[in-house]
Amino acid sequence: MFLTGKHIDRRTLLKGVGAAIALPLLDAMRPAMAAKLANQARRVAVVYVPNGIVMKDWKPAEVGSEFAFTRILKPLEPFRQDITVLSGLANNAANKAKGGGHAKASGSFLSGTPPKYTAGADVHAGVTFDQLAAKHWGAETRVPSLQIGCEDSRMVGNCDTGSSCAYTNSLSWKDPDTPLPVEVNPRSVFERLFGTVDPSLPAAVRARRAMYRKSILDQTAENTQRLTADLGPADRHKMDEYLTGIREVEVRITSSEKDPVTPPSEKPSGIPFDYAEYVKLMFNLQVIAFQSDLTRVSTMMLGREGSVRTYPEIGVPDPHHPLTHHRGHPDFIEKVTKINCFHAELFAWFVERLKSTPDGDGSLLDHSAILYGGALSDGNAHSNVDLPLVLAGHAGGIRGGRHITSAPNTPVANLFVHLMNSVGLQTERFADSTGQLDLHA
Amino acid sequence: MFRPEANFSPARWQLLHAFRSIRIVGVTLRFSEESLTYRPMNRLLAIIVGTASSLTLCAGTPDVFAFVQKNCVACHNPSVKSGDLDLKTLKSAKTFEENRELWEKVVDKLKTGQMPPPPVPHPDAADTVAVTEWLNAEFDRLDRMVKPEAGRVTARRLNRSEYDNTIRDLLGIDIHPAERFPADTAAFGFDNISDALNLSPALLENYIDAAERSVRTALFGPETLKPSAVHFSAPVRINETRGRGNLPKDLFHYDLSGLSTRHSAHFIYRFPVDAEYNFRLVLNGHRPNQSEPVHPALFIDGKMIKEFEVDATDLEGQIVEVRTRVTAGEHLLSETYLKTYHGLPPSYNGPEPSKRPPEPLISPRGKLTEKDIETLRKYGTKIKTDAIETRVDNRFESLDIGGPFNQTAGPSPESLRKVYVCGHAPGKHKDACARPIITSFAGRAFRRPVTPAEVDQFVRFVSLARKQGDSFEEGIATALQAVLVSPNFLYRIERDQPAPAGSSSAPVSQYELASRLSYFLWSSMPDAELLHAAGQGTLRQPAVLEAQVKRMLRDPKSFALVENFAGQWLQFRNIEVVRPDLERFPQFDDGLRQAMRRETELFLDNVFRQNGSVLEILDANYTFVNERLARFYGIPDVTGPEFRRVAVSKSERGGGVLAQASILTVSSYSTRTSPVLRGKWILENLLNAPPPAPPPGVPPLEQSKAGQSATLRQQMEEHRKNTTCSSCHSRMDPLGFGLENFNAIGAWRTEDGKNPLDVSGSLPDGRSFQTPAELKALLKNGHDRDAYVRGLTEKLMMYALGRGLERYDRPAVTAITDKLASQDYKFSQLVMGIVNSLPFQMRQARQTAQIASTMGERSK
Repeated sequence: MFLTGKHIDRRTLLKGVGAAIALPLLDAMRPAMAAKLANQARRVAVVYVPNGIVMKDWKPAEVGSEFAFTRILKPLEPFRQDITVLSGLANNAANKAKGGGHAKASGSFLSGTPPKYTAGADVHAGVTFDQLAAKHWGAETRVPSLQIGCEDSRMVGNCDTGSSCAYTNSLSWKDPDTPLPVEVNPRSVFERLFGTVDPSLPAAVRARRAMYRKSILDQTAENTQRLTADLGPADRHKMDEYLTGIREVEVRITSSEKDPVTPPSEKPSGIPFDYAEYVKLMFNLQVIAFQSDLTRVSTMMLGREGSVRTYPEIGVPDPHHPLTHHRGHPDFIEKVTKINCFHAELFAWFVERLKSTPDGDGSLLDHSAILYGGALSDGNAHSNVDLPLVLAGHAGGIRGGRHITSAPNTPVANLFVHLMNSVGLQTERFADSTGQLDLHA
Repeated sequence: MFRPEANFSPARWQLLHAFRSIRIVGVTLRFSEESLTYRPMNRLLAIIVGTASSLTLCAGTPDVFAFVQKNCVACHNPSVKSGDLDLKTLKSAKTFEENRELWEKVVDKLKTGQMPPPPVPHPDAADTVAVTEWLNAEFDRLDRMVKPEAGRVTARRLNRSEYDNTIRDLLGIDIHPAERFPADTAAFGFDNISDALNLSPALLENYIDAAERSVRTALFGPETLKPSAVHFSAPVRINETRGRGNLPKDLFHYDLSGLSTRHSAHFIYRFPVDAEYNFRLVLNGHRPNQSEPVHPALFIDGKMIKEFEVDATDLEGQIVEVRTRVTAGEHLLSETYLKTYHGLPPSYNGPEPSKRPPEPLISPRGKLTEKDIETLRKYGTKIKTDAIETRVDNRFESLDIGGPFNQTAGPSPESLRKVYVCGHAPGKHKDACARPIITSFAGRAFRRPVTPAEVDQFVRFVSLARKQGDSFEEGIATALQAVLVSPNFLYRIERDQPAPAGSSSAPVSQYELASRLSYFLWSSMPDAELLHAAGQGTLRQPAVLEAQVKRMLRDPKSFALVENFAGQWLQFRNIEVVRPDLERFPQFDDGLRQAMRRETELFLDNVFRQNGSVLEILDANYTFVNERLARFYGIPDVTGPEFRRVAVSKSERGGGVLAQASILTVSSYSTRTSPVLRGKWILENLLNAPPPAPPPGVPPLEQSKAGQSATLRQQMEEHRKNTTCSSCHSRMDPLGFGLENFNAIGAWRTEDGKNPLDVSGSLPDGRSFQTPAELKALLKNGHDRDAYVRGLTEKLMMYALGRGLERYDRPAVTAITDKLASQDYKFSQLVMGIVNSLPFQMRQARQTAQIASTMGERSK
């Protein structure tokens, strides 16, 4: 697609957004961060792979610390001590739902709740674990959470045999009725983190405009409340949603007044044409957001579930989804494996960035729990068991360096319970959990 | 897992028939419900039990239950529940109402012959007709008894295109602020359904930013942008001259502008502001030695901006540049070679051959000879090597755009006129003007008159800014921003009106009706004329209403119906995001993509605005092409980049959307066609019969006997032998195979790889076709046509109302479709039917809506 132009000096920009800009940003923030670091902020993120993974080339044969890296996991080998490969976990909720195999998988993955079968307005699933974390820290960071996608989701029609696009295009659900749409434009992610105010304006003008903005929001909230009084229940619900939005924005403005962050001087211009650059730019924005403690929670989809992206740059000109229905054909399987490897390489790049970014007494990776993988194992059969998952980071004392298998059909929610505890959110149960995985021991 | 294909062996069928004859001679076997298990024997017996026990018949009325027992319950019973469906428990007439959707599916499956699936023998055709017609009559009777209701539409948030259009019409700026908003959630296939249009805090922030940007652009001019560079790589082209002694003769009757030749490159770019931009065309490829200079050119939206001359035969890395002024917004940029086959050496037999002598050449291999060295000295970098100096593969490497420069500063007169209603005097505004400015602006933004109290609140922002030492204009800007983040602007909130005595619904207000019309037909706010009619209270008068609708349809703004309604209904919006495999389809580029979209848009625009029949969408004897698309389609005698209407009645390709490359491409994979996808596309979008999700545990094709080398058709036929699959695929696949003459980007073909194509098919109801034309003839007649018209009416109604349809909307839909048949299926009549319908004109009073919803809860 040529709709979005490429910035000619993307490379400079990439460097700029990452390394070059990281330093001044950190300096500007030091006083604010020092206080926060006292009780070390922890981050949690999910990086989602659509359409399943070729399991024979993913799952290590050995269990424990002496496992050999498989072909797909190979790019993560330099980080052996920082990752935990997880096998045996299942997304049982998907099996309880009706609808397309892809919609059921991504629509239930992080909530452990079967999504309602509908292509209509009445989408319904469950609140996702990342959003519980976002709610927990909501007041402490400027942005409660980021939802990022690396595939334009403007496809229309129902997305998977009668299931709403909301299930395949979103990963995070704020509440059971509210899927959070992904931002696919790096520029929008940037503006969400740093706002749209023109940094070149004199400080006094910026301050005045910010004050007007606040005043507009106050007045609007007041008027809306009055308006709500004589509306029917459905309309009132819409206005409540609007008011909640206003309040969240007000909180953000207040918190950014307390803790001003100097935005990097250059914004990404749009969506890079090259997929690897696109993904890396999105990873970089998350590194910056974590590093500056603008948010502690993010979820990212490398493609929408059911993605038909082609990867000609790695010799796969065929669309991803139909390839995964390979019916055992070795050529197709090989191509899917190539895509799986490509994604893993990009993820390794992210892990490297997190590991090389200092944070408090260690690195960002030390204080993060980054889950990588998908809600389908074998894409050909839409299988929801023995999910391909790997966890990077040591948040809260996650040990790493191991391949851990759970008993067959252990709910993946057990992992989420552990993740929430690891990042400081005391939790005993979540969705269909039957206990919690212990990755500290 | 229940696997019917394993159960229905021929031997078992003989057995079944044997049992049938037993029933005929009056032997009754009785089995208790509990003994029904998954084993086929018992299922066969269940049929007998059922049939024997249902014998109540009124004269002339088919016994639906007996028919179902006989033909359906073998699989659809409480224990087997094939397709998650149990028909055995549906025993009373009450179920026609209570399980209406289910019964409708039964009718559809019977009518189209999808059920019972092979190898189960079809029921007697006369019986099927009797049963389905009776059921349809019963549905009609029930519908007549349903009390029509207006329904209540929840407050509708503006979606992205509505927001952009409204800002455009409100402020006179075309900056598309919503392009950066997160995508709107769609429901029922449309992104304007109020219940699905949630608002996240992230979106609210976007609204706040967009309000500021829009207002500042309108009042102070666009933000000043720093120049930056945008780079477009041109896809690599194949070399037409490779391996050929001579260029084919037919090449020489060609588009001299080069816009339609494959040497050109096309890109779509949205320019952020009115300004000068620098265009750098980077050339590549070669011309044969002795050629005349080449003439690269830059076109914007098909209009030539500049012609260049480059006197070289090795074009790699040659650069030409031009700076020109461009308006903000989306433009199609083309780099071409003018007269690309002119001026070639005489040996190429092209038009106006070169009169130049050949340039000296040097040998490309080995050591340089004395002569080579002398040549090199003499010609420097203009040296040629003989091996490649025979190609005509001049092409483009890239297009680089630098800018903006000398940006148009300041606001447009139109924007100022729209806002400063008491005249614009920069720096000399009277504070007293704040009120009229805000009253006018907020009234247009809220699409209704505003109260003095509302105006007061916004005027406060002018005072606030003035107190801070800001100008009057800054104050107005702040007030206008407040208007644009108000829910009264962002949502269309309809207020409850008291229902007249004896009625449960009340007409929506005149202003609300004006908004309903404008967002339906224009995806934007009502214009002055509509608001005026609403203000006069005349909008509802039949003559006024009809005249307004006709005027609105004629207005170019009704193109929104093509983009937003049809673009989603027929899914051709997706042409923007598909990425056909360039290895297999090297012809595909942005120029072709653009042409495909344009064809469908112009075609539908013609149907919608020239009052065509909606059946033309299924099949028409005309379409719209330019030279590029005409060459792609094989339509002769079309030259030049502009689109024109052409007759297609004599071509094999035919007309209607099923012959349009946009539709054929979005319903294909990037590497190949998929009859399943296309069949599903037809069922979903044209025949109003979306297939259900495949049941869990569908055996993959791998296990079937078809080898890897079998053609797709054979593989699919193997697949359909499985009864579970065949219930849907028996209708879906033949429809898709009927379009196999079109490849994955919609080009005509007669073979697929090495295999000759077989595009014939027979539908489960027995009708068959040999060609795409015959397939379309089937679709536009009989029950398929009725299903199409009903589906279209339902979809357009949902789009117009911004909500899903309910049982109580059925009478309205039926009334429209019934009438349409006698109105030649005219699109304008369909629109009028919807505009005049109860749900469009009225709003259910709150009291009744609440009672109805509580009753709904209870009955569940």
